[in-house]
Amino acid sequence: MTGARVGASPRRVGGAERVTGGQRYVADIHIPGELHVKLVTLPVARARIGAIDTSAAERVPGVRLIVTAADLPQPVPRFGPQFEDRPVLAVGETKYHGEPVAAVAADTRDAAEEAAGLVRVEHEELPAVFTLAAALDPAAPLVQDPALRPGDPLAGTNVLRVHRVGWGDVDAAAADLVVERRYAFPIVTHFAIEPHACLAAPDGDGIAVWSTIQHPNWLQRILAKLLGLPLAKVRVHAPDPGGGFGGKQHAKYEPLVALMALRADRPVRLVLTLEETFQAVRRAAAEVTVRTGLRADGTLAFQDVAADYLIGAYADIADRVVGKGSYVGAGPYRMPAARIVARSVLSHTVPSTAFRGFGNPQVNWAVESNLDEAALALGIDRLEIRLRNLARKGEAFIPWDTPADGDWAEATRRAADRIGWGTPAAPGRGRGIAVGIKSGPTTGLSYSTVRLLADGSVIVFAGTSDMGQGARTVFAQVAGDELGAPLDAVTVVMGDTAVVPYDQQTSASRSTVLMGNSVLAACREVQAKVRAMAARVHGVDEAAITVEHGVVRLPGRELPIRDVVAAGLGRLGGEVVGNGEMRKDADPGHPLQGAPAFFEFNCTAIEAAVDEETGDVTIVRHVTVSDVGKAINPLQVRMQDEGAAIQGLGHTLMEHYIYDLRGRVRNLGAIDYRIPTSMDLPLELHSEAVENADGPGPYGSKGMSEGALLCVAPAVAAAVRDACGAVIRDLPLSPERVWRALRERDAARAGREDAR
Amino acid sequence: MSPAIPIALTVNGRSRTLDVAPHHTLLEVLRDDLALTGTKECCLVGECGACTVRLDGRIVDSCLVLAVEADGGEVTTIEGLAPEGGLTRLQGAFLDKGAVQCGFCIPGQVMAADDLLRRSPHPTVAEVEEGMAGNLCRCGCYAQITEAILAAAEEGGR
Amino acid sequence: MHTFAYARPATVAEALAILAEHGPDARVLAGGTDLVIRLRDGSLRPRVVVDIKRIAELGPGIRVADGRLVIAATTVMAEIAADERVRRDFTALAEAAAVVGSVQIRNRATLAGNVCNASPAADTAPSLLVYGAEVVAAGPAGVRRFPVDDLFVRSGVTTLAPAELVTAIELPIPAGRLGAAHARRTRRRGHDLASVTLAVAVDAAGVTRLAYGSVGPRPVLVVDESGVLADAAAPDAATAPAFERLFAAASPSPRSMRAGPEYRLAMLRVLGGRALRTAIARLAGE
Ligand SMILES: Cc1cc2nc3c(=O)[nH]c(=O)nc-3n(C[C@H](O)[C@H](O)[C@H](O)COP(=O)(O)OP(=O)(O)OC[C@H]3O[C@@H](n4cnc5c(N)ncnc54)[C@H](O)[C@@H]3O)c2cc1C
Ligand code: FES
Ligand code: FES
Repeated sequence: MTGARVGASPRRVGGAERVTGGQRYVADIHIPGELHVKLVTLPVARARIGAIDTSAAERVPGVRLIVTAADLPQPVPRFGPQFEDRPVLAVGETKYHGEPVAAVAADTRDAAEEAAGLVRVEHEELPAVFTLAAALDPAAPLVQDPALRPGDPLAGTNVLRVHRVGWGDVDAAAADLVVERRYAFPIVTHFAIEPHACLAAPDGDGIAVWSTIQHPNWLQRILAKLLGLPLAKVRVHAPDPGGGFGGKQHAKYEPLVALMALRADRPVRLVLTLEETFQAVRRAAAEVTVRTGLRADGTLAFQDVAADYLIGAYADIADRVVGKGSYVGAGPYRMPAARIVARSVLSHTVPSTAFRGFGNPQVNWAVESNLDEAALALGIDRLEIRLRNLARKGEAFIPWDTPADGDWAEATRRAADRIGWGTPAAPGRGRGIAVGIKSGPTTGLSYSTVRLLADGSVIVFAGTSDMGQGARTVFAQVAGDELGAPLDAVTVVMGDTAVVPYDQQTSASRSTVLMGNSVLAACREVQAKVRAMAARVHGVDEAAITVEHGVVRLPGRELPIRDVVAAGLGRLGGEVVGNGEMRKDADPGHPLQGAPAFFEFNCTAIEAAVDEETGDVTIVRHVTVSDVGKAINPLQVRMQDEGAAIQGLGHTLMEHYIYDLRGRVRNLGAIDYRIPTSMDLPLELHSEAVENADGPGPYGSKGMSEGALLCVAPAVAAAVRDACGAVIRDLPLSPERVWRALRERDAARAGREDAR
Repeated sequence: MSPAIPIALTVNGRSRTLDVAPHHTLLEVLRDDLALTGTKECCLVGECGACTVRLDGRIVDSCLVLAVEADGGEVTTIEGLAPEGGLTRLQGAFLDKGAVQCGFCIPGQVMAADDLLRRSPHPTVAEVEEGMAGNLCRCGCYAQITEAILAAAEEGGR
Repeated sequence: MHTFAYARPATVAEALAILAEHGPDARVLAGGTDLVIRLRDGSLRPRVVVDIKRIAELGPGIRVADGRLVIAATTVMAEIAADERVRRDFTALAEAAAVVGSVQIRNRATLAGNVCNASPAADTAPSLLVYGAEVVAAGPAGVRRFPVDDLFVRSGVTTLAPAELVTAIELPIPAGRLGAAHARRTRRRGHDLASVTLAVAVDAAGVTRLAYGSVGPRPVLVVDESGVLADAAAPDAATAPAFERLFAAASPSPRSMRAGPEYRLAMLRVLGGRALRTAIARLAGE
């Protein structure tokens, strides 16, 4: 049972600050005496670094510190969330365009910028690989020094890892039809409107860091190890990020900035430009070959997926993205046999990292498009083929794993209904539908503390980062409901490792479920203490007392929790403190080292119109239905779903990095990397949530906010094909691509005519 | 270094005189010299609108305006829109309609929306989408922002 | 951004003196929507930036004089797009001005700056070409007036001398009725730089003027006086060759990342045809 706050859509906690300009993001924070850092980069991708002449730069008034790799502890420390392969500054050679070789700290931004431009770096451009084909060539130059990969049989290649999952016997599976196609997904970037930023300042015998980071505790661990400091001496402040989308999960330049602060013995700040942010984070590109086997009636027989992901020069979290993203590559379907082989392929490009959807959008684009191809070949309706094969709730669709945890067919039918599936579309228009799942967190550890104060107000300490998903609001709703406090009497404290208990990370749509449960547990502990208090004060047996939603029920009467606490605490005042812990331990036997806590399921249905002369695609109607278990805050659910849908439209219709032949991104920054504006929305955007209270989170909730991005590309491409017959297997579906595909369609038709 | 230039301008109703470097933008001066950090910095090329302020009655991208150009001018930033501690109707509508996710683009969005309603008190959806196209929101709050603007218009304006 | 001296002349004469003194080291600053970006990215490094917005003679403003519409140099796109006379007599210019950037950009970007910047993709250039606009430039040798067609050399390069200042753009008010339209192609619906931008005007005598940009190093004007293009009833066999001739001067760069040459050329024809039909319909008063 829930109280009045859960299931409602109050104004966002922290909203007033955000609409009045009062919200403080990292770049808004200044520390007296701070120096400004500018990175020194080379105008090439891979290059051997020769002599570095800083003399001219040093002469710029206001320059206080210039560091090169030689000025760092030796060997230059390396770090990374999965492999410790990224050096604090490039060592010996740069491995991608934009990798810093030195950094300048000066009194002003101007001086730092000017001096950075005066650092002379002798360098020699080296052969490099920027594409999957080049990186996989047996003669390709190696991106990673094999010495960094001792004992790794793949060390002599650019393949970082190969992930294999499968069941049944794909080769022996009987199929009436086998469809095999190759699909490509380009490099795209997060483009959070807040560029990455960090500050570091010596803090007594330790260090304080402010960062736009999503995982402050993880950053704390990395910095403590790298600096040789106790965790308690590394204080990470993580003000709410201005959008993260995965790009801000892991350390990038924080180690450099921290080392510079210690060396200069002054606070230093680094605020990246948008262009530099493009050179810090991006999503892995992928080429995915899918072989789908089916019976004549449309029943799936097997799925054979080979996915190569183009990751960058350092691993960051990219290999985990590849492994986890491809894991559900067979789709949310009943699948007798599956074989999924995914490779993370290193290249001399910007290190790829987590990005909303975490490796799933790439594979889902391919797998769902291929299913449409099969439906077409079999003459089966594209909705029908999905409904026929979708795993039913409780069905173990990956034999050893968490069974299907939602009524996925219900979500699919609802999306189909809303798009008018089965009714004729207007001429020049077409429809597409796609489904997808993403694995939730496989491990997790979230502590929280809830303090019920003497006047009934509440402070929640939760280490989640609220980067727009609204975690503060959700936790305030949960705590407010459990302890009977109005939302304006609840404060949620986040983003300070010295104050807030440990949280493993804010990712994988986990926070409502994991931290939500932790906050719920902390509230339950508070309630238990209040019960004991009431028993003592009123001389009643504890077993006869219940505490629910801020009301203490004693035999024959009810008291507001506030009164009980005030009386119980007495003259000295005080508070009632509860701690919560939500732990999901690793399972070493599981391919992902843990079964997903839930699956995020989404169905997206699209109606699109195509201008055949220009290739312009108009999204007439975009329906997204996500299975969220329970919407603790329905408005926020809608915001997340629609936000994800629009981000999906970005990579579907317009986004991609354009590299030159020397591995430099030509469209760095906002001028030529296009993302959707208010004019690029679907004419109608409709989102719905399926709520069967069947999730593991508070009140039956599940994680959400990534699902609505998974299916956009296949659904739009299907709608385009349905509208005009243009077949595109290479994203984005830019007008030019659609136009080309239409020419190919015409050529093929003409060819058929000729053949007659 | 070219010498700093003395300028006088009105910011959020308050007269200010200060010395600015000729190459510093209005955005830099607002954020760094006047500590008005509500105006945000993102693309620095006039594409995102996060730096939107009102200058002499018109909204501009403050990253493309040199501070010296604003000499003698009147500037309103997000901090100056509502009375201290309060919200304008439009700001309230942003919250009620769920138009705020991470919030980083929001000061610019609110400034642009405020301007839109001044120019066009009862805009159509198409006018709103066109009028707001200079403000990117990567969280994708566009539909909710449009709803908020229409709601504020409905309820009597900004 | 590198630093520079900032000058804010009050008169054209003063501005010209500064420009003459510094030659190529000086740069005129109007709305700054092109210039400030180039100052920041370092592709321009002038020693003196000459802000012309406080020169009373340069406007802003739109007025009629001697049968011409005179748009002063500091007039911004927002004013041009909203101006009743421009909308009525120079529809294609109003349409072009209305799609330059966003509201924020149009509140700063000047028409003169758009042409002086000489981007092949400048959206107002085609309409100025089809309306036979003239540039009024003041320089050490006095004021000269010349067709806008004589301004463009190639991307970023004009025939203006470094010491010259554009004071106004003038458009002859058409003697008879004109039907005109602007069209462009971008990568998304929201503001974007054009991969094809064009304007068409047809008059009652059947003369068709088409100008296009972003498909070559500079915008190009082509005139068809045969009358077939302006004739909605002319048979395809007659219009097709004339139509095709219009595009002979297009030579899009293969190096652009905004669109490939093949697509640009195809879109030039598609949009050219659409704009032509709109212009004809407008001429007919539809
Ligand atoms: C986000 C964004 C979107 C844009 N979108 C478009 C678009 O859709 N279409 C389009 O065409 N353009 C677009 N532009 C480009 C720009 O806005 C226009 O070119 C604008 O009209 C330039 O005018 P300005 O007054 O800002 O010129 P400035 O930047 O001040 O000057 C531009 C150049 O012209 C010179 N100059 C200016 N005025 C004079 C003068 N009177 N005499 C001599 N020289 C002079 C300057 O020295 C400089 O070299 C966009 C720009 C941005 C930032
Ligand atoms: S920062 Fe000014 S428009 Fe983006
Ligand atoms: S709310 Fe995050 S960018 Fe707009």
